[in-house]
Amino acid sequence: MKKRTYTVALAGNANVGKSVIFNQLTGGNQIIGNWPGKTVEKAEGFIEQEGIKIRVVDLPGIYSLSTYSEEEIVSREFIAKEKPDLVINVVDASNLERNLFFTLQLIELESPLIIALNQYDILESKGLSIDFEKLSRLLGVPVIPTIAVRNKGLRELFEQSKEMLEKGVKKTKPIPYGKEVEVRIEALAQEINKKIHTTYPARFVAIKLLENDSLIKKEVKDDNIITLAEKFKKELKNIHGETPETIIISERYAVASRIAESVIEKKGKARLNIRDNIDKIALNKVTGYILLIGLLLLTFYGVFKFGSYFSDLLTNWFESFKPTFMQLPFSLTTNKILWNGIMEGIIAGIGIVLPYIAPFYLILALLEDSGYLARIAFLTDNVMHKLGLHGKAFMPLIEGFGCNVPAVLGTRIMERDRDRFLAAILATLVPCSARTVIILGLVAAFLGPIYAIIIYALDFILIYIVGRILNRYIKGTPSGLIMEMPPYRKPVTKIILKQTWIRLKDFVYIAFPIIIVANVIMEVFSELHWVTPVANFLKPLMTDWLGLPPLAGITFLFGILRKELTLVMLATLYHTTNFAAVLTPREIFVFGFVTMIYIPCVATIAALKREFGWKRATYVTIGEFLGAIALGGILNQILKLFMR
Amino acid sequence: MRKVVTLIQLREGTKAKVISFALGRGGGFGARFGRGMGQAFARRLQEMGIIPGSTIEVIRNTPVGPVEVSVMGTHLAIGRSIASRIYVEKL
Repeated sequence: MKKRTYTVALAGNANVGKSVIFNQLTGGNQIIGNWPGKTVEKAEGFIEQEGIKIRVVDLPGIYSLSTYSEEEIVSREFIAKEKPDLVINVVDASNLERNLFFTLQLIELESPLIIALNQYDILESKGLSIDFEKLSRLLGVPVIPTIAVRNKGLRELFEQSKEMLEKGVKKTKPIPYGKEVEVRIEALAQEINKKIHTTYPARFVAIKLLENDSLIKKEVKDDNIITLAEKFKKELKNIHGETPETIIISERYAVASRIAESVIEKKGKARLNIRDNIDKIALNKVTGYILLIGLLLLTFYGVFKFGSYFSDLLTNWFESFKPTFMQLPFSLTTNKILWNGIMEGIIAGIGIVLPYIAPFYLILALLEDSGYLARIAFLTDNVMHKLGLHGKAFMPLIEGFGCNVPAVLGTRIMERDRDRFLAAILATLVPCSARTVIILGLVAAFLGPIYAIIIYALDFILIYIVGRILNRYIKGTPSGLIMEMPPYRKPVTKIILKQTWIRLKDFVYIAFPIIIVANVIMEVFSELHWVTPVANFLKPLMTDWLGLPPLAGITFLFGILRKELTLVMLATLYHTTNFAAVLTPREIFVFGFVTMIYIPCVATIAALKREFGWKRATYVTIGEFLGAIALGGILNQILKLFMR
Repeated sequence: MRKVVTLIQLREGTKAKVISFALGRGGGFGARFGRGMGQAFARRLQEMGIIPGSTIEVIRNTPVGPVEVSVMGTHLAIGRSIASRIYVEKL
């Protein structure tokens, strides 16, 4: 007999540790970090042990089951329509009130529930503890305390969940609102039960109708029910003098805080509040920006130093195999293809790319997990407003420094379509790790770090200008910032390393094969003498306008696949990694600049297409291509005046 | 008589009671004063704990960044334009 697969969903507020629990339970590879809005799309993984098969779905973090953002709709519909066998509600123990606000809604949705009371260590560091047995009684839901980052309590969570799945889950009883509201909810729910059939439970529909939920209204359709709801809303407004939305939200919060107060116990002293002390500096209007710029420069310099040191070491070591290789008993052409195609590809991947992106990803993970990323969003909110965005947009943009693909997907944390598209366009201009490799490995290494910084500065200015222009011409009203500031967390080594590895793995498994295959194709072309005709065709644009050698045009073509390829190809075409010998300083500078902006790679174009459709993806691609050629040319003409 | 101001006018360290929101059409911000934040945004604020009647404390308020408030035991960063559309009463 085939065993049944159970479905379990992880749901809860943003930044409470759902993805950490997901990774620990399933051995999955969800990107995690200490900032709200990382998981923008549901992820799936499987647990198969002790005779049970479970599909685990990690839902995006949300604060409510209303329809304010796309994530909320995704999560709500998943829970209501796919009806998972169990919902693990991950609750931040150190922030019980706000989290219970969401738990109460899950109970209203009548989902079979278990609570993982996570980040229990942070609660304890505040000198508090929670009587979780009492909490469980009050809510009618099992509660398991966990510290997911240290893998504590997850065994118990799994065992309890397993038991619930196998034995069936008791339906939880909803917690009543104040009398005036409750009477009306019940009356409306009865009417709904009698007259129509909905995917959502009747009581939930009744509450949402009173809360003025437009999607639910559309689903109900029945005019009598809508009229009745409108009548009740008016009555409530007359009694309380507030909108029914406000009444229901504040009553729900009242229940949440009553429960929270009755289960939280004071236990010993609170440890020193480091958060306030760090924030006094990190968010200060002067020191905050100094710290931010200092950290960015330090990151840049650290990655460059580390990268160039290991890059030299590794390439030299690899090059020492060349003589032996050339003596292999094949024809000279085969040997050349083997060495120049395959080996040079491997050397470039390991020697030129890896030394820069590995430390870069490590620092990115540290920034994410410590909670500093949210501070960057705070500090940049005002600048972002000038671009018609708000501080939250900075988080996908920062993600873009790693790779533009998750950055484009990550723009989903923006609430409106207009903001998303704007942020996504800017994200494609953010220097991703591949471009960082080129800037550090070529410009910084052969011209000096200051030139690399100039290219970065030019890029940031460009992002700013493009943002301002787009803000004027893309229609729609922008929205403001509202973001929960996460506490600082001491990064856990194991998690940081795992995070770094998840990102590196993408490079090793996806980029590496592309680099090697492209390199082999290039070498075959070169042996067939096809390179020169193509180069000559590109010559007017490359040489006359951009001031680059014609061969650079070919590297740009390959660069569409992966940006690293431009540098790798350059090495292949010139048979050297000492670029100063074959390129003039001006050529290096213009090459770096054009590579930085000349179009996102295919993967980014695909991500744009997926998120915004072909039409808008094509606009962005063509626009950036033309922009890069135009700006690169102008830069070249200016540099001609004082640079060789 | 109670004195109602907008959140943006409060100094750091002040406690206040939330009174109401400037709603109006759309979700304009920035220089477009006079327009409200819109129903959806008001709803989000309330779901995050900024509910008429609730008590908040201003943690940070400088002209260069969002207003940071402490509410329900957590910190929220609220953009300046939104903060200028939240009416509060100083406590």
